[in-house]
Amino acid sequence: MEFLLEINVEEMPSSHVRTALEDLKDKLGRELQAARLPVAELRTTGTCRRLVVVAELAESQESREEIVTGPPKAVSFAADGTPTPAALGFARSRGIEVGRLEVITTEKGEYLGFKKIEKGKGADEILAKIIPQAIGSLSFPKMMRWGESPLRFSRPIRNILCLLGGKLLSFEIDGLSSKTTTAGHKIRAPQTIAAASFKEYQAALRENLVIVDAEERKKNILAQIDGLLAPLKAQLYPDPELLSKLANDVECPLVFLGSFPEQYLSLPLEILSTAMREGQKLFSVVKGKKQMPHFLGVADAPADAKGFIRQGNERVLKARLEDAKFFWDQDLKVSLKKRMPALKHVLFQEKLGSYDDKTQRLKKIAAYLCGKLEECPTEKDVILAAELSKTDLVTDMVREFPSLQGKVGGLYAGAEGLPEAVCQAIYEHYRPVSLEDESPSSRGGAILSLADKLDSIVGVLGLGIQTTGSSDPFGLRRNAQGVCKIILDRKLNFSFSRLLDKAFLTYGDKLKRPKKEILDYCRDFFLNRLRSILERMGYRYDLVNAVLEAGIDNIYYSYMRLKALDALKASPQFEPFILMTKRVNNILAGQPAYPFNADLIVEKQERELFSTFSIIKENVIPMIAKGDFSQAQKMVFRLQPALNDFFDHILVMAKESKLRRNRLALLQAISKILTQMADYSQVVIEGEKPAAKK
Amino acid sequence: MSLQNLILNLQKYWADQGCYLAPTYDLEVGAGTMTPDTFFRVLDKRPWKVAYVQPSRRPTDGRFGENPNRVQKHHQFQVILKPSPADIQKIYLASLEALGINLLDHDLRFDEDDWESPTIGSWGVGWQVMLDGLEITQFTYFQQAGGLELVEIPVEITYGLERLEMFLEEKDNIYDLNWSDDVSYRDLRFEDERQFSEYNFNQATVKSLQEFFALAEKEAGQLIAKNLLLPAYDMCLKCSHAFNLLDSRGAISVTERVKIIAQIRALVNQVAMKYAGSEGKR
Repeated sequence: MEFLLEINVEEMPSSHVRTALEDLKDKLGRELQAARLPVAELRTTGTCRRLVVVAELAESQESREEIVTGPPKAVSFAADGTPTPAALGFARSRGIEVGRLEVITTEKGEYLGFKKIEKGKGADEILAKIIPQAIGSLSFPKMMRWGESPLRFSRPIRNILCLLGGKLLSFEIDGLSSKTTTAGHKIRAPQTIAAASFKEYQAALRENLVIVDAEERKKNILAQIDGLLAPLKAQLYPDPELLSKLANDVECPLVFLGSFPEQYLSLPLEILSTAMREGQKLFSVVKGKKQMPHFLGVADAPADAKGFIRQGNERVLKARLEDAKFFWDQDLKVSLKKRMPALKHVLFQEKLGSYDDKTQRLKKIAAYLCGKLEECPTEKDVILAAELSKTDLVTDMVREFPSLQGKVGGLYAGAEGLPEAVCQAIYEHYRPVSLEDESPSSRGGAILSLADKLDSIVGVLGLGIQTTGSSDPFGLRRNAQGVCKIILDRKLNFSFSRLLDKAFLTYGDKLKRPKKEILDYCRDFFLNRLRSILERMGYRYDLVNAVLEAGIDNIYYSYMRLKALDALKASPQFEPFILMTKRVNNILAGQPAYPFNADLIVEKQERELFSTFSIIKENVIPMIAKGDFSQAQKMVFRLQPALNDFFDHILVMAKESKLRRNRLALLQAISKILTQMADYSQVVIEGEKPAAKK
Repeated sequence: MSLQNLILNLQKYWADQGCYLAPTYDLEVGAGTMTPDTFFRVLDKRPWKVAYVQPSRRPTDGRFGENPNRVQKHHQFQVILKPSPADIQKIYLASLEALGINLLDHDLRFDEDDWESPTIGSWGVGWQVMLDGLEITQFTYFQQAGGLELVEIPVEITYGLERLEMFLEEKDNIYDLNWSDDVSYRDLRFEDERQFSEYNFNQATVKSLQEFFALAEKEAGQLIAKNLLLPAYDMCLKCSHAFNLLDSRGAISVTERVKIIAQIRALVNQVAMKYAGSEGKR
């Protein structure tokens, strides 16, 4: 039978709506399963004012048969067949007549007992318990209370409609009793609506200016956008995030096309679109990459018959663009260079100093990176970009639109006529802001971005400030992810440890904790980000672990080693080789390091392993140094037959300690080369048996 | 149509809702939420309904009278209802209808916007109310005030009077508004903006302000010790305004800013805690 729930709330943030609908579905699914109530279909949908659950459920729980056993048969009956006190006592304790007990055969023997049939509870009884719990347990990044209620939620809950099989399912949450009614559009059709099914509910809401289905609203908005833009042969400046937000924010979507005076078209597209998005949540309209003097807005209304909605938005936007134009003109009166002293007054972090201090560090780190990377852009340009990179923080434009930091600096540098490479590097140096965002397209931008992010990470972690699940005030995780992404995207090949070292040293005496502690912590921090990026790229977690175990001194090389190993995972040599490395690992576990002496070799297989290894080692070392991991991996795989013979014929743990130590020393030398590429023993082999111990 | 009429209409409407119409508070504040009629009354456990006009000073927003939208002093119409009624959104919507706005002709939206004031240790959850893209009201359910978790949740509705009047009069320039039928906003406020911008940005004597800040801070501490919490809070407000002036003079260094905000918050916290603690006895 059909179950319908609508939680009517005051306008929830769009992101809260999304997670609440997912969580409700998960939680109810789990709870219903735990309650053994069969579910044919369960889905959620909604708007910022309603969270809706629709389900097709069985009328009641399945009945359950339980076998209750008592004393063994042998002690339950006297010789004459009458029940003993043991049997009588059991019957009494379970409230059942002794005559109804039967003999039940179990694995352990025959016992006296009975079958108990627990009749399934009705869906109504179960739901009346589960639903209030599920609602009360929803959690949001920021929760609130209202009135005198102790309940915490995203926004105040004002009405609950709950139907089961078309009838009221009665329960109470926070003093609010469930009802069979809801209301239409809050402003345009606030009347009470009753419904007996989801179909009726949906139809009644539609009549009262609410499209309840989220997907339908999104499609509706997109269709309206197309309808308005087709005659202009123009496109929407893409903003998927804004689109999903608006699709949740309105119940009755109306897309309207507005205009602004052409004089503002002299402003760059980035600034125009940001001015439209922030504040009024408008889309900017472009033809190719050129802004048109138009915008699109999404209203919560059936029509704009008198044009008030469009005119009102045009008026507000004009004022904002006027401000932006004013900022642009005013800002350009003072060059970025002249703004540098003002950075002394902008705090980066209380203990790490101002943005002027940060700028000085960025110059040093950027210079270092220029020296380390091949095909570097002109160092002079990168240093100039580093010097000016933060100056836009003291422009009116960035004060007004903080999300434009970096971009504004790049645009102003361009307007000042600075070299293209400098402008580009400043413009891009906050990128990538997420894994989906692109890395800087220029080498200079990449260097500056790396320097900026590393400086923040080493400094903030160096103070002992921890990032936790919910708290990451400096966006360090995002920054570390950005660093890894840039290195991988641009195939940057350099010693990451030394870069960390450099970033640490540029702080001078500002970081008081021991250097090793700080750098180890930073390395682990990066290791975890890199691991999650590689896993998200689709690599097997065990291969990722194996490769990262070999260290991230060179992040790009770590990735190349993973790629090489991944390419070999289907080869016939893969499994035997991995199993062999596990064997080597097991035997070496807990052994101290021993020196190897070729003169102590006695057996043939021992000698063969040594000579094979010597040849392979000679070949592999330059391959590793060059970063040719594909060849290097294939090469070490060739150790497998020799190792196999060795283990088959040689007793490593020989009684004579000289021999034993020398054999262990040979395996240690091999292991040392292997672990430069991966700890292969971490690779999981399917159906793997625990490695045999010798 | 005039700002004066707007104020009269709002006063009438909220008085009918049972609000006490408080006189404007006679100290410089950055927002209506800082006056004792809000600050102290949200801390205690008794129901409270108040509405008042509060001139709000934000020295750094001054533009010498040259910007059509920004001023260093604007006017808020502040409403506090505690505990927040279940139909508060409807009550609010009706207040707009009472101003003659036919909501069916417009797009009215409650857009996520939480509020926070680190200086007085307060925060809340709510929206900016947008009318055809114009922010006309801040609508907030207080969760914490003076660093204390609130038990009975107040709702705060703050109308930006100039914004709302610009919407009603369909004007693009704040100085073109009518204050009354005969007096324009320009008549009353232009010279004020020009002179105060000059004072805030260029003329206020930094050293005197710093000394004044220190005196008020010291006085606040002494008054708190004597359990004279209302005058102590006044001193905190004076500190806050002195800080804002110093800020617009560009006289607050990086590290000082954090420190000063923390200083004021600590005083306000003490006031709030003592006030809430003495509550049960009255």
